This record gives sequence, structure tokens and C-alpha cells, in this order.
Amino acid sequence: MEFFIAQVLNGLSLGSIYVLLVTGFNLMLLVAKIIQFAYPQFVVISMYATWAVLRATNNVILAILVTIVVSIFLNLLSEPIFRRITSIKGTDINATFVASIGLSMVLVEIMSHSLNQGFPISFSDNWVGGSVFRYGIINISRSSIFAWVGGIIVVVAFFYLLYRTMVGRLFRAIAENRHVAKLFGIPIFKTSIMSYLIAGLLGGFIALLLSMLIGTASPWLGESVALKVLAVSIVAGLGNLKGGLFVGLALGVVESVAIGYVAGSWSNVIAFVIMLIVILAKPKGLFGAAVE
Amino acid sequence: MRKYVAKFILIMLLIFAFGSMTFAQDEVAVDTWEIHFLNSVTGPIASIGEYMSWSANYAAAKINEEGGIRGKPVEIVIHDTGVQPDKGIEEMSKIVDDVLVVMGPVPEAVIMAAVPLAVRNGLFCMTSSTSYEYTVEYFPWTLSWYPPTEEKLPPVTELWAEENPEMEKVVQFVEKWAAWPGMAGAHTIGLNNKNVKVIDVEVPKDAVEFSSLVVKALAEDPDGFVLTCNPDKAGKIIKELVNRGWEEKDNILVFSSADDTALYTTGGDALNGISIYNYIDPDSENERWLNFKQEYKEDHDGKNPGSLATNYYDSVYMIKEAIEEGKLTGDPAKLAEERIKIRDYCRNVENFKGIQITWSMNEGLPTSKPIFLFEIIDGEKQLIGKSR
Amino acid sequence: MSSTLMYFLGFSMTYILMAWSIYLPYRVKHLHFLAVATMAVTSYMGGILSVNFGWSFLPTLLLSIVIGALISYLISHTIGNAPTFTVVIVGITFVFIIKTAIENTDYLGGTIGLFGIPVLDHPLIILFAFLLVIGYFLYRIDHSRIGRAASVIFTDENLAKSMGIKPKQIGMLFQTISGGIAGSAGVFYAFFVGSLFPDFFTFHLIGTLMTILFIGGYTTMWGVIPAALILRGVPMILPSSIASWRLLIYGVLLVAIIATKPKGLITKKMLWELLKKRSGS
Repeated sequence: MEFFIAQVLNGLSLGSIYVLLVTGFNLMLLVAKIIQFAYPQFVVISMYATWAVLRATNNVILAILVTIVVSIFLNLLSEPIFRRITSIKGTDINATFVASIGLSMVLVEIMSHSLNQGFPISFSDNWVGGSVFRYGIINISRSSIFAWVGGIIVVVAFFYLLYRTMVGRLFRAIAENRHVAKLFGIPIFKTSIMSYLIAGLLGGFIALLLSMLIGTASPWLGESVALKVLAVSIVAGLGNLKGGLFVGLALGVVESVAIGYVAGSWSNVIAFVIMLIVILAKPKGLFGAAVE
Repeated sequence: MRKYVAKFILIMLLIFAFGSMTFAQDEVAVDTWEIHFLNSVTGPIASIGEYMSWSANYAAAKINEEGGIRGKPVEIVIHDTGVQPDKGIEEMSKIVDDVLVVMGPVPEAVIMAAVPLAVRNGLFCMTSSTSYEYTVEYFPWTLSWYPPTEEKLPPVTELWAEENPEMEKVVQFVEKWAAWPGMAGAHTIGLNNKNVKVIDVEVPKDAVEFSSLVVKALAEDPDGFVLTCNPDKAGKIIKELVNRGWEEKDNILVFSSADDTALYTTGGDALNGISIYNYIDPDSENERWLNFKQEYKEDHDGKNPGSLATNYYDSVYMIKEAIEEGKLTGDPAKLAEERIKIRDYCRNVENFKGIQITWSMNEGLPTSKPIFLFEIIDGEKQLIGKSR
Repeated sequence: MSSTLMYFLGFSMTYILMAWSIYLPYRVKHLHFLAVATMAVTSYMGGILSVNFGWSFLPTLLLSIVIGALISYLISHTIGNAPTFTVVIVGITFVFIIKTAIENTDYLGGTIGLFGIPVLDHPLIILFAFLLVIGYFLYRIDHSRIGRAASVIFTDENLAKSMGIKPKQIGMLFQTISGGIAGSAGVFYAFFVGSLFPDFFTFHLIGTLMTILFIGGYTTMWGVIPAALILRGVPMILPSSIASWRLLIYGVLLVAIIATKPKGLITKKMLWELLKKRSGS
């Protein structure tokens, strides 16, 4: 039992990160109408920024600020590319997916060739933090608490923004029907920029939480995460924000528990097999797709 | 008399002509000795590939300072295969018709894919960083720097078990990649010989987060750990073990392939006090080694050379010896014959003065090579013992 | 023939075959990466059949086409008219599962790979002949009623339905054919390279095939031919220090093409105009 609880707690920390990533991914999908496969790569590059600042200055506040700025900057930088692609007549969302795969390949190659000579990076112990509570093999680290609390705060703030503010209303209007929203005079371009900004902000937070939780990053981190984010989003139903919360958390727990009971590399397969079965049974997702 | 003089002159002329002919036959036909190296400098083992390239280039620079090989400079041409077999074949196909000898390929999967092409074309591959098991199939067109894994590794884990006699049960983290499962099996043999029980826990290749894995290992209630996985994963796992309260550091053993910069960057202070084994002795007093180490550190942010750092340094020097001893010319017309001369020289070299130790080869296998066991203290390795 | 040229042509032709298996289902907007998983399955199957059971090339090829088509056919019952990204993720998930299964099966060589598959004596001739057959077959499909129906589905599925076209049937048909082509590509790869490695059939291959398809152009079957020759071939000529940036170059090209010529370098329209000009002059 103790063993099971320990694994579930691990899974919840990891799940919180998936939830945040899927939320950012879905936001881009709903408002900017793009499949941003490279979104997790932006998060990983932001982690490199955290690491670089911490190593150079050891200033935590500066590191947090730089991480968030880098993340917002990267997301905004990609905006003209995606705007250009979506504005071409006759293209659809598939084109943005293909372009973001291209973007993802570029970022991975830059990281593996140029950043820290391609070596993985590692965060110092005072950044990662030690144990806060320990009972047998159950261990609650400071970083898992950050992941849970941070996850809850960010999700609550995001849903508040979406359902209780003007910007949120614009977002939802565009997500509902872009053309009608335009007819009603909603500034599509400005609102779309806003979504990149918020996705960037969210990405910065994810980078910080993830760097604390796993304590390292490597050029190949984003690739496996990106696949899982896309898979979670589809299992939940593309663009379904609430579904993403549930499925993201579930994936984290299933992965952790599976590692506990199944031999190494098969454990990841279990999560994928479950997701595959769900997709084959419900091609439009468990909770229904918000986007076709 | 005149007849004799004429005869004498004629004979002298003949001897001279013949002599200069053989002399011309031995003359070097190349401006630069190109040594091609099929390495993996991108992809999952890019960091290891980087320092192997570095040491090959370093050896070439030293040789050139000392006057080159038979008076001509040597140049290392790196081919990146990125650990992809088809890329390996592609790179091999570019050189297989023309070059004298090739270093690599690296690692196992690329060897198995690309070496058959070299064998078909009679080209010798200096597979100096790979276990015996994966090169023996292509003997005599390859060699192994190490004796068979199941002979060479058990003595090291036995030594480690003797150093830590309180251990009865250890968990071994095994990543199923290339030669590592075989090495894990050899670790287990040595430990079983010392009545230490071994439980394997498999490390997923694409794992990024290790708390679940470490919880699983700790639930076995072991007395120690062996890490047979990639360097940054080993670093992360040790860190996670320490975060979860593991204190007996010398009961953690890291295998040689994880002795790489990435281990130290991800493991950090958590590595303090752990054991690690390796094929090179960083405290060797050999002057060539001291220079090597110093320049390596200058180029690598103060980090010590990794486990496989000397292999291709020694390979370049071995090729140099083969060319000099066999008076090879690099002449394309004699390619096939000179390829075989290099092959036969390297596979049976006697008392080769490597950068650290002097050893001999017998039909492609080394006859005497030690393995060293260390403790890591403040990021530096301190020798505990060695096994032969 | 030099080894370089032989491998250049051989690899290029194998990649054309692989790219065609992605091309056909994309006619109805299905990015069918299940084809990559199929290649993994049939290449290993071919390897085992030839190494352990002494099968020769031809029966192995025929069986792999059948098996490949069968896998895709079975799965197409649920994803025959699924949205693009569902097809994508089903494919990628299969790739991942198959790869893990291979890595954990010692009989298949595990993570080390499967080696010693007897390579073909005249791979280029056989590959070329096979490409001609498949090419002709694809050409006939593209220029048939089904091909035209696919074009309508690509532009507007609802319009297609109102015209009496059944998108699911066409989707299933294309996915099945794609599986068959992928099955053959796997066996050609195995018998050309002589060794198999689980890491080959991953995201890397998916990325390369997507680059070939989208840069060459997905509106006509001809686009992937120059794209495969150039994208696979040029890095073989470049010095290794530049060639190791291959994926970065692919990525940049992919983004640039999508942002400027989203239909790729060679389009149906372009070929059509070329043809018109020739017949006009």
C-alpha cells in the first residue's frame, strides 16, 4: 500500500505538468487555430534559459523572470510564421502541424549541437529542493509540492481568465466560431496575439516547475513530451480543456504506477496502449472534440 | 680490362637501378595520411562521440608535431553516423573503395550494419571502443580492445563486493541499449560469485523522471545499487536515491560506459562517495597522459577524460606504427595489400605502448589489460583497486 | 558502379517507396504513420523469415505486402474516416508500441538489432522495376474516378458526401494500399541494408518522410521523387560536418516551404501547365 501511495504521489506531480502543457497546447489550438507541436520544445529551451541564468548569477528572481520572458518571446516569435501559414488561401490546420514539426526538428538540433555541447543540463540541489516529508518510501519533495500547488493555481487562474474576464470571453468567442466572432467585430489578430502571450507565460511557469521536478533537461526531452501532449489532447478530445485536465493527470498516474509494477520499457507502452484503445473506440476523444 | 670495367659499370648500374626501383616502391605516395573515423557525434551518445573525436584529433596533432607518419602529416576525417545503421552504411559506402583503414564505427548497431560492407571490400575496421561480442563475428576485419565481457567484468564487481562485504542484495538498474544488457549480466556473475543477490530493474530508454523507478528499487530493500545505464540517467537516479535518504554511498557502483561528463553534470554533489569502474587510471604518471589530461580539461570545462577517451588516441598511434613498420605507401595501386598489412599488424601488435599501459594483442584480442575501481570524491576519482 | 552511387540510388528509391505510402492516404488528409509501424513489422518479419527460415526474397516480399495491407485494413475500420490528428496519433502510438515490443524481444535482436540478412545481388534493378509497377498503379488510382473523388474529399468532405462519395470507403481503401506499399518498403529496406535496428523506425523516420512529402509536394505522386533524391542524396555528398546538421536543414526547409509554397515544390497545377505548354508548342 505504501508502495502504491508513493507511486501515485509521483504520478500526480508528473500529471500536473502534463495538465499544464495540454492546457497551453489547447489554448493555441482553440484561439490561434494551430497545432503547436513545438510548444513543449519552447518549454525545454526556457529550461535551458533558467539553467544558464542560475549558473551565471545564482539569482533566483532573475532566473524566474528570464525564463518567463524567454518563453513568451519564443511563442511570440513563432506567431508571424503561423499567421503567415494560416493566412494562405487553401491551407488548413494540418499545415500548422507540419510546420511545427519542422520547428521542433530545428530546435532539437540546435539544442543537441550547440547548447552545453549537447550535454544534458542539471539544476543545482538548492533549486530542485530536498524532501519535505518522508514516511518509509513515501517521499514528498519541495518540487512536487510546487508542481501540485503551482498546477492548481495556474489552472484556476487560467479558467478564471477564460470564464470571468473580457479576454476570456473573446477567446471563447473565437474558439466557438472564428467567422462569426469576426463579424461581431472581435479583433481576431489582437486576441490571437494575446493567446500566444498567455501560452508563453504558461510555458514559462511549466519550465520552472519542470526544472524543479525532474532537475535536468536534455535536447530530447521535448520530443517524447510533445507526443504525449498531443496524445492526451486527442484522447480527451482535441481542444477540450476540461477533458485535458482529467486525461493529463491520469496519464501521469498511470505511467508512475505502471513503472512500479511492470518491467521498465514496457511501462510506457501501457499508457500508450490504453490511449490507443480509447482513440480507436472513440476517435473524437473521451470528452468530445472542440475542434474538427 | 675495359671489358671488366664495362661489366662492372653495367652491374653497378643494374644494382643501382634495381635499388632505386625498390626504393621508389617504398616511397610514400600520399601528401597527407587521411584516417577516416566513423563516429557518432550527434544523437544519444553525442557527448561520448565528441570526446572520442577530440582524442583522435589530439593524437593526430601530436604526431604531426613529431614529424608526421613517414614524413607526411596525418589528418583525421570524422564521419558522423548519429547511431543510425543506415547512416553508417551510407558513410561507409563513401570510403570503402578508397581508404587504407577506418576507425570505428561507433557503436554496436552501426558496426553490425556497416562492417559487413567493409568486409566485402577487404577494409579493416579499428573497432576500438566496442565489446568483443559485437566485433568477433567480423574477425579478422575487426579487432576488440577488450577481452570477452563475461571474462573481464566479473572480477571488477567481485572486487567491489569485497570492498563492501556487508552487501547481500543489490538492485541493478539496467538500460536495454547496445552492449549494456550483456555487461549487466557480467556484473551479476561477479556478484553472485561473492554470494550477493542481484535484482535487475529496467530503466526505460525514454524515461525523464526517475522517482517512480527509484521507489520501485528501494521497495526491494537492497544493500546497494549497480548502475548500468546511460550517464545522465545514472546521475539522475543517484540524485533521486540520495534525495530519498540513501546514505551508504560506496554501495553504489556505476559502470564504465556511464563514466562521462553527463554523469557529473546531472549527478553533481550526490556522486560524492560512490564507486565507479573504468579502463583508464586518471592518476597515471605517464607524461603523455598528463599532457593529454591537461589539454582535455582545458577544452572540456575542467572535466576529466571519460572512460573511452584514450581508445582512439591509441588507435591512431597504432595505425602510425603499422604504417611505419610495414613501410606502407598509401599508393592506390597497392591498396588491397597494404590494408591487409595494417590489419595483421594491429591484430597482433606486441608490447604496444599505449598512452597509459603497454599491452599486446593476439589475433585481435588484448592479452593484458587492467580495469580500475574508484571512489568519486569531490568530482575526482580516487583509485581503490584494479583487476586484471 | 561505385558504392556511393549504388547506396545513393538504393536509399533514394527505398525512401520514394516509403514516401508514396504516406502520400496516398494524404490524398484524403490522412497522415497515415501507421505505415511506418508497418514497415517495422514487415522488415523484421522479412529478416526473420530469411535468416531463420531460409525464405527467399520474392515470397517474403509478397507475404509482406499482404500482411502490411491486412494490418492497415483492420485498423482502417475505426480510422477510415477519422480526423487527421486521430490518424496521426494512432500511427505514432503504433510506432512506439511496435518499437518497444521489438526492443524487448531477444528473438528479434532487442536493442542491438537484427543482422546478417542476406542482401540482394542486384538491388537497384529489382527496386527500380518494383517502383515502376507501384508508380503505374498509383498513377492509375490518381487518374481514376476514385482519385478524383479523393480530391473532392480533400477540399470539402461535406461536399463530397453530398455528391454521393463515401469518404470512409475511400479512406479505408487508401490506408489499405498504403499498408501494402509500406509492407513492401520494409522488406526492401531489410534486403538492401542487411540489418535492422529498432531506433530506425521512430520519429526520425516520420520526420524525414514528412519532409520529403511536403517539400516535394503532396498534390501529385511525382513530388516525392526529386525530394527523396535531393534530401537523401545531397547529405551524402556534403562533408560530414555539414551533413550532421541534416535534420536542422530539413526543419528549416519544411517551415519555409509551408510558409511560402504550402503545396510543395511540385504541384499538380504546375505539371498541368507544363504539359499544356508542351502540347501547345
